[in-house]
Amino acid sequence: MSRNRRTFLKGGTVAGLAAMAGCVGGFGDESGADVKVGMVYATGGLGDNSFNDMAQRGVQDAQDEYNVAVDETEPESAGEFDGAQRDFAESGEYDLISCIGFAQEDALSGNAPEYPDQNFMIIDAVVEADNVRSFVFGEPQGSFQVGHLAGLLTDMEFAAGDGETNPDENVVGFVGGVESPLIESFEAGFTAGVEYANEDAEVVSSYVGDFNDTAGGQEAARSMYQNQGADIIFHAAGATGVGVFQAAESEGRFAIGVDADQSQSESDYADVILASMVKRVDTAVFTAVESVVNDEFTGGEVEQLGLEADGVEAVYGQTLGDEIPDDVKSALDDSRQAIIDGEIDVPDEL
Amino acid sequence: MRARIERLFDRLVRASVFERAVISVAALIVSILIGGVLVFVSGAFASCRTGLDLAGVTFCYNPMQVYYELFFGALGHPLEGGWTPLNFSLATTLQQTTLLIFTGLSVAVAFRAGLFNIGTQGQLVVGGLATAVAVLAVAAVVPAGFVGTILLVPVGVLAGAVAGGLYGAIPGALKAYGDANEVITTIMLNFIAVGVTSTLLSWQFQDPDSANPQTAAVPEYAQIPTIPFVGFSGRMRFSLLALAFAVLLMVGIAWLLARTSFGYELRTSGVQPEAAAYGGVDDKRMTVASMTLSGALGGIGGAFWVLMVHGRWLENVPSLGFDGIAVSILAGNNPLGVGLAAFLFGVLQGGSRSISTATDVPPELVGILSGLLILFVAMPEFFRMIGQRYVAVDANRPVRADGEGERSGGESDD
Repeated sequence: MSRNRRTFLKGGTVAGLAAMAGCVGGFGDESGADVKVGMVYATGGLGDNSFNDMAQRGVQDAQDEYNVAVDETEPESAGEFDGAQRDFAESGEYDLISCIGFAQEDALSGNAPEYPDQNFMIIDAVVEADNVRSFVFGEPQGSFQVGHLAGLLTDMEFAAGDGETNPDENVVGFVGGVESPLIESFEAGFTAGVEYANEDAEVVSSYVGDFNDTAGGQEAARSMYQNQGADIIFHAAGATGVGVFQAAESEGRFAIGVDADQSQSESDYADVILASMVKRVDTAVFTAVESVVNDEFTGGEVEQLGLEADGVEAVYGQTLGDEIPDDVKSALDDSRQAIIDGEIDVPDEL
Repeated sequence: MRARIERLFDRLVRASVFERAVISVAALIVSILIGGVLVFVSGAFASCRTGLDLAGVTFCYNPMQVYYELFFGALGHPLEGGWTPLNFSLATTLQQTTLLIFTGLSVAVAFRAGLFNIGTQGQLVVGGLATAVAVLAVAAVVPAGFVGTILLVPVGVLAGAVAGGLYGAIPGALKAYGDANEVITTIMLNFIAVGVTSTLLSWQFQDPDSANPQTAAVPEYAQIPTIPFVGFSGRMRFSLLALAFAVLLMVGIAWLLARTSFGYELRTSGVQPEAAAYGGVDDKRMTVASMTLSGALGGIGGAFWVLMVHGRWLENVPSLGFDGIAVSILAGNNPLGVGLAAFLFGVLQGGSRSISTATDVPPELVGILSGLLILFVAMPEFFRMIGQRYVAVDANRPVRADGEGERSGGESDD
């Protein structure tokens, strides 16, 4: 018995080792690419169906078009950004390091001068260094648009999909991730849009303190729907915002998505998502990678992507979009043009 | 069946050092084989561009590559060309090792005194903030440059030790004078530490120029200096001096426990509190003192995290304190073993990062691999510890009065 077991073990080990030896370097490698890109995502992580996934889509689009290899890392807290950026920069193998999210600004402003030959890009913040290309979006402008939509709908009697408005109360809500100048600029634009549409409307707002706390987002939204009479809630909270959709679904109210067209990326909640404030993070990442591939990367530039450049826009929900009244849609088109023409001044601070 | 288990325990307990090392290496290899199969099979459920096609299924992950990265990635790929010992990956690994030595020692000291300190994390958080605040305050009145360094670094480390020590003394006093279970109080105090430091930060110490929750940066000259020419470069956030300090502290704690009367009292309180009390140890004071020492070590960990890694205190402190528990247990609560265990953890963490950047294997799977590894390496020792309870080691084995010949009893009774 014991002899049999030993023989079996010995044979198994030899077979296993031989099988594994055959695999060494055989697959899983992505060598031979023209350009190598390192992605450092924001703390919400991949799979948020919003900000980070948009950034990933941008680099995947670049992979479809060019011979690009991508390595990715998802830091779990702000303290890890510094090490994650250095990890890529220190190896010297990457033609571009993409830093996704404003929270990486501090780390990158320290690292960029220390690796002067390394190309960086950053989304949502400006780092003034010759080797960094910064992309900032007109979030207040896009938020103004969805605020305008919410303000017009909240005192109408409107029902579509699984949701309906509450015409008795003139209240809409805003749920933010972490309280910071960037997220507050979403709220500022949204509030201005609501006021533009409807001077009597009130905006209630809440910051969950995390971009990755679905339960917290759900709790905040539910209390707005139930206790404060809100019927439409706009979120700028990454994965936390999924909780807002869950609350809208269970309360039979509406929500507005952010960053990506969330009626598509979170299609389970398409029946309550009126619209999304889409931020073309994917275009920004794609452009930067493309410029590296074509050897045209120039650092030190700041790209402003507002309504005019289609960097931000209000995109109606896949399911509910058709049911939104046409006069509301044309009012939104008018205000969009007015913002581009400079007739409406959108605040970016509360 | 029962007899077989007893025989197994018996063999484990009586195993020589060499046999134990062989068992550990065998366990390591088994864990790698199991983990490798796991990685390979999970690769069938992922989608990728380049994979291994086998019987109609595409396997995405290469287990050989994964383990290669896990062990050598943390050292900066020493088998490839252009390797220098002063590379960034090794620096990060040693940086983690240094920090885990402090937290591992913190947990080990409490353990030896019979106290389970889950609160090292909280003590580290509080100590780190105290360090940053103290250094920022003192930096305003001391000159810059070398003088600043030799004044500010000790001030920072001391502030961390004092704050961490005081924070550790609280559960010690609650245990000694209020009979409160230290496991529960230290767990709760971790949450309190996070809440209080976060409130203090936004109330007073937040860096006004930053959107991230963090204090202002301490001046460059207040950070742990690196050795010129032979040490790692400053931008790698690791100093050999810090590692040397950690190792000295480790030896110091080992000496304190083994050779001083305080250490003897601490250990006896851990093994048999009643006997220690009968022998004249003031058990209440001993509880407070050992928790204070443990907290101070955690606080020093926080000080080095601030002064070496970030140059400032940040909210969302990594779980160094909790990892310290695992380090200490893996080291059998032996201060000198903490160094090796901390290095193993440092390698695993560095390797995990290397895997997540060099391959498509998701971080969760990497966590499972390092978990398996620790589990398998610790298991034989764990069974040994259990076995020691059931197998009467010395009962049938004559020992000379001076303790000689304890291990040379022969195999006659097998």
